[in-house]
Amino acid sequence: MNGFTGFVLRRVIGAVVTLFALSVIIYVVFYVTPGNVAQITCGPRCSPAQVHQVAQQLHLDDPLYVRYGHFLQGIFAGQDYSTGTSVEHCAAPCLGQSYQTGRQVTDVIWTKLPVSVSLVLGAMVIWLVLGIGTGVLSAWRRGRFTERALTAVTLAGTATPVFVIGLVLMIVVCGELRLLPFPQYVNLTDDPEQWAWNLLLPWLSLALIEAAGFARLTRASMLETLAEDHIRTFRAYGVGERAIIVRHALRGATASVIALNAVTVGSAVGGAVLTETLFGLPGIGQELVHAVKVVDLPVVVGMVLVTGFFVVLANALADVLYAVADRRVVLA
Amino acid sequence: MRQPSVIARRVAAASVSLVVAAGAAACGPEDNDAKASGGDSAPQKGGTLTVLNSEPQTDFDPARLYTSGGGNVPSLVFRTLTTRNRENGAAGAKVVPDLATDTGRPNKDATVWTYTLKKGLKYEDGTPITSADIKYGIERSFAPELSGGAPYLRDWLTGAADYQGPYKDKKGLSAIGTPDERTIVFHLNKPEGEFPYLATQTQFTPVPKAKDTGTKYESHPVSSGPYKVVSNDNDGEHLVLARNTHWSAATDEERKAYPDKIDVRSGLDSSVINQRLSASQGADAAAVTTDTNLGPAELAKVSGDKALAARVGTGHFGYTNYLAFNPTVKPFDDPKVRQAISYAIDRSSVVNAAGGSALAEAATTFLPDQKSFGYTPYDPFPAGTSGNAAKAKELLAQAGHKNGLSITLTHSNSKDFETSPEIATAVQDALKKAGITVKLQGLEDNGYRDKIHSVKTEPGFFLAHWGADWPSGGPFLAPIFDGRQIVKDGSNFNSGLLDDKSVNTEIDAINKLTDLDAAAERWGALDRKIGEKALVVPLFHPVYKRLYGEDVKNVVISDWTGVLDISQVAVK
Repeated sequence: MNGFTGFVLRRVIGAVVTLFALSVIIYVVFYVTPGNVAQITCGPRCSPAQVHQVAQQLHLDDPLYVRYGHFLQGIFAGQDYSTGTSVEHCAAPCLGQSYQTGRQVTDVIWTKLPVSVSLVLGAMVIWLVLGIGTGVLSAWRRGRFTERALTAVTLAGTATPVFVIGLVLMIVVCGELRLLPFPQYVNLTDDPEQWAWNLLLPWLSLALIEAAGFARLTRASMLETLAEDHIRTFRAYGVGERAIIVRHALRGATASVIALNAVTVGSAVGGAVLTETLFGLPGIGQELVHAVKVVDLPVVVGMVLVTGFFVVLANALADVLYAVADRRVVLA
Repeated sequence: MRQPSVIARRVAAASVSLVVAAGAAACGPEDNDAKASGGDSAPQKGGTLTVLNSEPQTDFDPARLYTSGGGNVPSLVFRTLTTRNRENGAAGAKVVPDLATDTGRPNKDATVWTYTLKKGLKYEDGTPITSADIKYGIERSFAPELSGGAPYLRDWLTGAADYQGPYKDKKGLSAIGTPDERTIVFHLNKPEGEFPYLATQTQFTPVPKAKDTGTKYESHPVSSGPYKVVSNDNDGEHLVLARNTHWSAATDEERKAYPDKIDVRSGLDSSVINQRLSASQGADAAAVTTDTNLGPAELAKVSGDKALAARVGTGHFGYTNYLAFNPTVKPFDDPKVRQAISYAIDRSSVVNAAGGSALAEAATTFLPDQKSFGYTPYDPFPAGTSGNAAKAKELLAQAGHKNGLSITLTHSNSKDFETSPEIATAVQDALKKAGITVKLQGLEDNGYRDKIHSVKTEPGFFLAHWGADWPSGGPFLAPIFDGRQIVKDGSNFNSGLLDDKSVNTEIDAINKLTDLDAAAERWGALDRKIGEKALVVPLFHPVYKRLYGEDVKNVVISDWTGVLDISQVAVK
């Protein structure tokens, strides 16, 4: 087994173990959390007898390990559910059924995931352009007014909560200037143009928050490279400043930017809750918050696993890309 | 009565769910409700009405919805035996026929109710609506798979207590008879003069058995109303309704159905909804909300702009926020202590904490101040606007607490301006003047609900609220004060654990009345009698203020829902 295969294998096993550990933790946490699930599902005025029926229906009276066993069974063998009038099969890997709506969690994920991915990938393009651009300019113009101004702007971006940036953008761009309609999610497959227009403000809001990190990282890595001896040698040989910045300093920053980007994308897929909520984007983050509020355990587990999956995947990807970008790094 | 916060079912977000369930949105200029904005021209058919909501319509199954009077958006698709009168103010608190020819014909002691369906009623596919379909719709609401509705059917229908719905029990409910295709008869286990009110709830919607798909039915329920479901995406996040061509206005006097299409968008942040409605740009000019009120800060901004202020609808839903005592916990077992607290309360500071007098009206009665509830003014422990600390101290001294008293007030940490920290702090400040030191115990919302609704854990002193399942004293007083409704091993709402024979007897006596006006009067008198026991301290009734778009016309806000009735709105 060569190094790379070993690396992938270790990572996959690590990921699976992490995700299972996550699911166990959530089951235990929810087991001890306040909120009578059957009562919430049934309604506040349900009689004890009716609550008992609902609890039976949802297997809530079973001990924790039995319920977790059901969950595992669904993942490996799938499960059958009654809709009342018929029996429905939820194929493996089946993450169970929402207590509140009766929908299969895997269906919920497939509905919500495209929204979150649309948001994050679009924002990523903007934060990379903005972040790296600002970083390069700051490094190039070090100590001058441009750098100070850029640093101030990016810092302000990070320091401002997304609901402030987003709301201000909406009020100004949509409310006052009327350049865009207020965003509401349109499926990419339904209308790609409307999809993009409607996501423009969410992309900008999320990107402005994240861009600062990339700017600072780019600037720092470039300055580090620019201070190295070989750059001084290049300059002495008369290599142009532009070539030094682009070919050498920027390349030095690539590896760390790639790594940071992978991790940022990974965590934003399930973590851009505020952006999703503010703009009414029905994504993973918004669903997770709602499910926690109504103690909808299967949905919470599903959403956390998706989020966890992307974080784990992003970290592994970051390691690989890091190694590809910088041959000195050894995969371990 | 439903507790509004929970209504929408299960969901804890109190203010929001209330609205969803009621399905209504309040709009209509104050004191001028009927006058429509958006020009003086008469309302016309056509156009698309956009609905901007915060809570998704996740339960679009008539069996699962918990509504007051059939809900707002749901009522566009689901017709019921009776419905609420779609008129402004007090006239809107009346119950009127919908699918049935009248509001029901009771037998002598109101234990048997008979309804006849109108002629020519059809579903969206053109097939006729029969009495058997209404029976089936009610039966399926008993299935544990489709839980969520109000408890009355189970409590009232003979032999229904343990029924588990038609999926498990094919025999059906013997309490409902369907002698022919147009007649349906309900047999109740006790007299219930308010049965016509109950028949407005969505459980009384016809469901054709052949089209029932169990838990999947909500994605495309078969319409009996003026609109049918075209699409229901993302779990009710985006609901599109279009005209049901088989609905006949001749059989439906209540729903105007002006717009051709209804586009419901949910999952939006409340500040964004209000921003969009105030900008009223593009499609938002023809937009309303059925679940988002203006908050105190937003209202202040809107009030400063004449054009915007004209687009605010104001309504009153039967709802009371109050302080509850548990008399089994010391020192609240002593009526003098409860009375002292009643005297000490500063309602003006509580009202301010709830957003000011535009959003809350001080209350001294448990029943909302509306005629249909039988509102009878009383104030057994007059505290004035800012509390009577001297009288409170005097009572405390008589109760043996000369040097003051230390108590704990339990409240929720949700940001609902009802049971939230703002209100608790206002109570704390007021009681301090009377020498009562209040320690605040703020709980996460689910934890708070678990605690206050369990007899085993109920705190001695806490913030609570109650909303109307229909505009009458019955569902407002019975769950809170009827001793037989104390639930020892489940969700209990009789927080004062009152089991007073004379109260129980009077409740039974009023339930026998089929003259709803006469019943209202007696509910009012009963409210007064119970009020003197100082088991609760009424604080305030909320006022709903909601924005609507520039093109919205024919704004009707009844006292039943307190919010704009979407079935009346025109956008042309």
